[in-house]
Amino acid sequence: MYLRELVSLSNPGFDPVMSIFQTTSKSFLLPLVPSIVFAVFSHARANTIDYQRQILPILKDHCYKCHGPETQEAGIRFDQRPSMLRGGDSGKPAIVPGVPGESNLVRVLAPHFEPRMPPEGPALTTAQIRLLETWILEGANWPGQMHLKASDITSNLWSLQPLNEPAVPQGATSNPIDAFIDAKLRAAALRRSAPAAPVTQLRRLHLVLTGLPPTLQDLQRFNHHPEGIDRAYAESVNQLLDSPRYGERWAQHWLDVIRWAETVGFETNLERPNAWPYRDWVIQSLNADKPYDQFVFEQIAGDTIGEDAALGFLVAGPANLPGQVGRDENAMRQARQDELDEVIRTVSQGFMGLTIGCARCHNHKFDPILQRDYYAMQGIFAGLSYGERRLRGAKNDTWQSQLPKAKDKLQQHLKRREALKKELGLEASVENIQREDFPPVTAQSVRMTITATQNGSPPSLYEFEVWSSPDTNNGQKNVALASHGSIPTASSFALANQTRHFDNLTDGTVDRRQAFPWVAAQSGPAWIGIDLVEPTEIARIVFHRGNSTPVEYTLEYRVSSDAEWQLLSDATRKMPREDDLRTAETLNLADVSAAKKREIAENSTSIRKARSEVNRLASGPRVFAASFMEKPEATWQLGRGDPMQRTRQIKPGIPKVLGEFRLDDAHPESERRIALAKDLTRNDHPLTARVIVNRVWQHHFGHGLTDTPSDLGSMGSQPTHPDLLDWLAFNFIKDGWSLKSLHRRIVMSDTFRQDNLPDAKALAVDADARLLWRFPPRRMEAEAIRDSILQTSGKLNLAVGGRGFSLFKQRGGLSGYDPIEEFDQSGWRRMIYAHKIRMQSVDIFGSFDCPDAGQMRPKRTQSITPMQALNLFNSTFATRQAGFFAQRVEAMSDDTTASQTEMAFLLALSRKPTTIEHTAMEELVKEQGLIQLCRILMNTSEFLYIP
Amino acid sequence: MKNIPCPSTATTINRRRVLSGVSGGLAGIAMHSLLAQTNGDATGNGRSAKKKAERPVIDPAKPYEQRPSHFEAKAKNVIVVFCSGAISHVDTFDFKPQLIKQHGKPLPGNEKLVSFQGPNGNLTKPLWNFRPRGESGKMISDLVPHIGGMADDICFLHSLTNKSNTHGPAENVMNTGFTFDGFPSMGAWINFALGTENQNLPAFVAIEDPRGMPQSGPNNWAGGFLPAAFQGTPLSTTKPIRYLNRPPEITAEADSEARKAWRFLEEQRQQRFKGDQQLAARVASYELAARMQLHVPHVMQVSDEPAHIRKLYGADSANGTKAAFANNCILARRLVENGVRFVQLFNGAYASGGRLNWDAHSNLKTQYDTHGEILDQPVAGLLKDLKQRGLLDSTLVIFATEFGRMPMFQAGTFGRDHNPLGFTCWLAGAGVKKGFSFGSTDAFGFRAQENILTAHDLHATILYLLGLHHQELNVYHNGIQRRLTDVHGKVIHQLLA
Repeated sequence: MYLRELVSLSNPGFDPVMSIFQTTSKSFLLPLVPSIVFAVFSHARANTIDYQRQILPILKDHCYKCHGPETQEAGIRFDQRPSMLRGGDSGKPAIVPGVPGESNLVRVLAPHFEPRMPPEGPALTTAQIRLLETWILEGANWPGQMHLKASDITSNLWSLQPLNEPAVPQGATSNPIDAFIDAKLRAAALRRSAPAAPVTQLRRLHLVLTGLPPTLQDLQRFNHHPEGIDRAYAESVNQLLDSPRYGERWAQHWLDVIRWAETVGFETNLERPNAWPYRDWVIQSLNADKPYDQFVFEQIAGDTIGEDAALGFLVAGPANLPGQVGRDENAMRQARQDELDEVIRTVSQGFMGLTIGCARCHNHKFDPILQRDYYAMQGIFAGLSYGERRLRGAKNDTWQSQLPKAKDKLQQHLKRREALKKELGLEASVENIQREDFPPVTAQSVRMTITATQNGSPPSLYEFEVWSSPDTNNGQKNVALASHGSIPTASSFALANQTRHFDNLTDGTVDRRQAFPWVAAQSGPAWIGIDLVEPTEIARIVFHRGNSTPVEYTLEYRVSSDAEWQLLSDATRKMPREDDLRTAETLNLADVSAAKKREIAENSTSIRKARSEVNRLASGPRVFAASFMEKPEATWQLGRGDPMQRTRQIKPGIPKVLGEFRLDDAHPESERRIALAKDLTRNDHPLTARVIVNRVWQHHFGHGLTDTPSDLGSMGSQPTHPDLLDWLAFNFIKDGWSLKSLHRRIVMSDTFRQDNLPDAKALAVDADARLLWRFPPRRMEAEAIRDSILQTSGKLNLAVGGRGFSLFKQRGGLSGYDPIEEFDQSGWRRMIYAHKIRMQSVDIFGSFDCPDAGQMRPKRTQSITPMQALNLFNSTFATRQAGFFAQRVEAMSDDTTASQTEMAFLLALSRKPTTIEHTAMEELVKEQGLIQLCRILMNTSEFLYIP
Repeated sequence: MKNIPCPSTATTINRRRVLSGVSGGLAGIAMHSLLAQTNGDATGNGRSAKKKAERPVIDPAKPYEQRPSHFEAKAKNVIVVFCSGAISHVDTFDFKPQLIKQHGKPLPGNEKLVSFQGPNGNLTKPLWNFRPRGESGKMISDLVPHIGGMADDICFLHSLTNKSNTHGPAENVMNTGFTFDGFPSMGAWINFALGTENQNLPAFVAIEDPRGMPQSGPNNWAGGFLPAAFQGTPLSTTKPIRYLNRPPEITAEADSEARKAWRFLEEQRQQRFKGDQQLAARVASYELAARMQLHVPHVMQVSDEPAHIRKLYGADSANGTKAAFANNCILARRLVENGVRFVQLFNGAYASGGRLNWDAHSNLKTQYDTHGEILDQPVAGLLKDLKQRGLLDSTLVIFATEFGRMPMFQAGTFGRDHNPLGFTCWLAGAGVKKGFSFGSTDAFGFRAQENILTAHDLHATILYLLGLHHQELNVYHNGIQRRLTDVHGKVIHQLLA
């Protein structure tokens, strides 16, 4: 078996037999159908070439260096027939069996081809090239790989191998995590550190699990537990995992991964005002320890089981608004591709740790992902659109139950309106497309004078039609059309980004996505006129409302340019529209008393109110989340990712290397997503559990077991402890995908509880402590810093959920965001409840590597900048909180500076000052005030670090 | 660190003595250079790229220290003048006689062109006269006569293209190389690669237009997935660095004593965590912040400039916006003069129907008359001033915008729609040819025709002038070795001096 040799060659230590049969049997070894091409040519021509003896040596000697098992330049490897059939980044097959002339291999080997192939070393001899050509002509016979098609893709990537439970290494410890860690440490001649001081353990546990330091009560309980530290620690673990603070912290980690934010991004960056229910859904799911497989399912197909908020996941990323997309076909298609691309990246990187997004333009350069796979994934989400959807649940049910009553109320007002109209003998209101018929008259020109619009905004019409009378020779037609030669004019037109010209009145187009209205330059009276080509007998005028509706107007005609204008029609006997915002006094109605006008205006107001209430209740509570159309458009593979280059239709599916769906267009749209969710959460999926377990580990220790948490592909880093990762993932599934069980396993290990002090010898071997010879201390994230400051100052507001508070003076829109500097109670909530604006660096905390939600951020950078110092030392927020902190210290201690110094340390650092610290700091308090001590304590590394 | 008392004697030592012993203590903290261990996935991780990557070695204690370029640099510092909203090339630098001749006729071959905002009308000649400028006789319009006066020092690129015709994504492309939000900006890449000369000022400064933020806002100076240390610092003569100074209610003495006490606590911790680079880096960052407090206000004192210099830039103008932009131009010069690596100078603000930036869809003449007045003299003054001080030999000035505008008016308006198919940017200063034009658009300025360029080519060239190979300046992020130039970019060797 050639492939088996290959695996063992490229991945020593891997069991080739296991890997081949377990990874390949599912996806492609079953259809043992020889390719048609081979079938044809193997019979058509005699095989005169022996691959093993004549071809393999050429490829090995001249090509493998760049296109072999180790390296795949241009995304092609010459040791796999399917790869050569597919071709590399160029998209051209390297071999087309039977057709050397179409085989890129032959083309690039030609003497004058640029760049020369092979680029280094001797060129191939003519004889060698002839040999390759003949081999291709005869069908590129390749013993052992003839059953593989171009689309068959195999991989020896570690993360795609089946998940098994590795044996726990033997050792002194009974805790499997410690056993795995110790085994690696032993191999590096290192040792795990002794247990950390109890208070260090407690602080670490609190900060990692909840993002808040322990309170004085926590500290008391822990330090004075009658049954000792181990018991106290175990109780703290339970207490913290049960606390709502846990979900608030860990939800942020997930929001980072998917770059969730509450604005759309790009230049308009408008608010998504109802995005927050998704954030609450994540927090609640984590707090409830919702099994992770369920967590995945709901975010992909939550609509099928009434979990609407979960679908905020799919549309977490930025997306340009339709109005910001060009009106040319290319721009519209590109925008659709871009918004679906965000979805594919979110799903594939978030859940699968695969960078499928890289295959948008070509086969993945490094991982076994085909361009086809990208579009197959796109097919799963082809029905998706960005926007708001109904948020089902208790609130929705209540609203629905209130609906009939609201509808009744509306009906009453509408009845009253009809009665008024009848009583006053008024005609029907002006329609959006208003048709006015009149006895035929002969007209050269027609004009409309608008003196009021329904909302007071400038007069505006989309189209203005003048119809000839039915008994003229040519039948009835719109003679106002510019195409008939009529000439429009108007008192003015607005200068706006798009055309608002009066030519729009007679262009014959009323499609609001394509056409534009005429809009007058300003509010107030305006007129438009149409000069017909010749005097024509007309009998009807139709006008289409534009950005406003005319509610007071006259329609007039004249027979020639020097004749008087004659009235055709006006609105003085028309019932005012419901949306007419004019006051009773300004209603221009003939033969209607002031009292009745008032009644009409009041009735309109009541109708508007009642209608908006009915609409609100009927549409239900809203959440910004993915919506889906039942019959999605077909998905096309695109040449080089160019939306104008459709190459072939692709069925919805997952990457070939992971298996195959059998879904066709007949299935309802949701079946596609359900199929994906079920596949991702099958117990033998190689990626899903590994990916999440690694993420969780990362947020405990600062580094994941693999350092590239959203990329378990070949460009990602190899895991430091592959067996531990697999053991955790395997047992995670066994524990019913419970995240809390996983946390418990980790924090109860001695590895987690060990000391954090550096050691010169160990630093020299493993500076980052990736082998965990110590617990590596690290600076807290921006959110934890803000929350910790507030908790320490005593101002933290623990209100849970709902619409977020603002960090800026606006919640969305064009850039130029002014930060809020002084907060009150409402802004002292945990930072996860801050309204998240995309691409806007948060005041003060942005410099602490708070992600901007532009690109996915599965792992935050950790920089140290002077801006951090300025922000934490000088900002209004920091100094005010230092003041509150000082007040709190004063209230909680004796009047002595000694007692205050001690209390400040206890609250901020969970410990008393050392003697020398005490001396120095008490003097600071005496000379410069307690507030200065409070200010610097919140700036200390000790306060800012997870110890 | 020899003066730090040991705890056993501490009770007999008062704080002032304790602190005085360590006030210069930072110098004693060993700061070994090490491979950016604090930089997470932005630097070291991921499997090594196949292509050789010359990743900068960054000391977390000194993220801004100067780092060597890949090869000898032609330019030391960069100033980008960015015209937000898309300045019309056919009304400024791209002279098209055919456009004047064919005025009022449809664009041949594209009579029914639908562009960003919809249908276009007929070809419309430039709204300002063009005339030959300088020795080179370069045709430049009367909208920018002062810049025209510097034509002999400028290297024009007339064949730029952009892959997006929407402002936000297109500005992203020009300043980050990608249409999407969230990629590191050019200044961040350069800051990351090279650090900066002056350790007392930010390495990368973004100077906002006095009228407001550019369309793509902070994307233009974002750090993206590079460590936050490398993102641009927004400041301008009208908007100083936030929280640069101590709060007014805290006295200088209290502030200084608090700092000393803070450092004492940090050094106590360093005693326990011997050799911890991050702790040393944090102390260093507070030191740098303190030095910035001293130096930034000084460099921002543009009012110190003599009258003739202020006049040169137009800072004496009665037009308040022009004077403010001129002050920003002076500030840009003062920053590079003081060793700041990368300065971004914005002209034009956010979307406003062309009122506050170059996005003139409806009323180009009136709006550009306003904007041209603000732009022209200050930018020309900047070039002249840099030149007379010899700074133009080491400073690269780039004049850029997100795309051009159509040679037609939009149907029913007096303005021009977006045109990403061909537009003009220019360079001046270190390492580039003078009085030179490269690339061209077709007869009407509609489409780049000869030597077509992308933002990637421009970026590759800028990096090249700074001594950096654009393919080798990369970091791993989510599965890819990301670069400023994506997978594209060719250095435009023809324009190198």
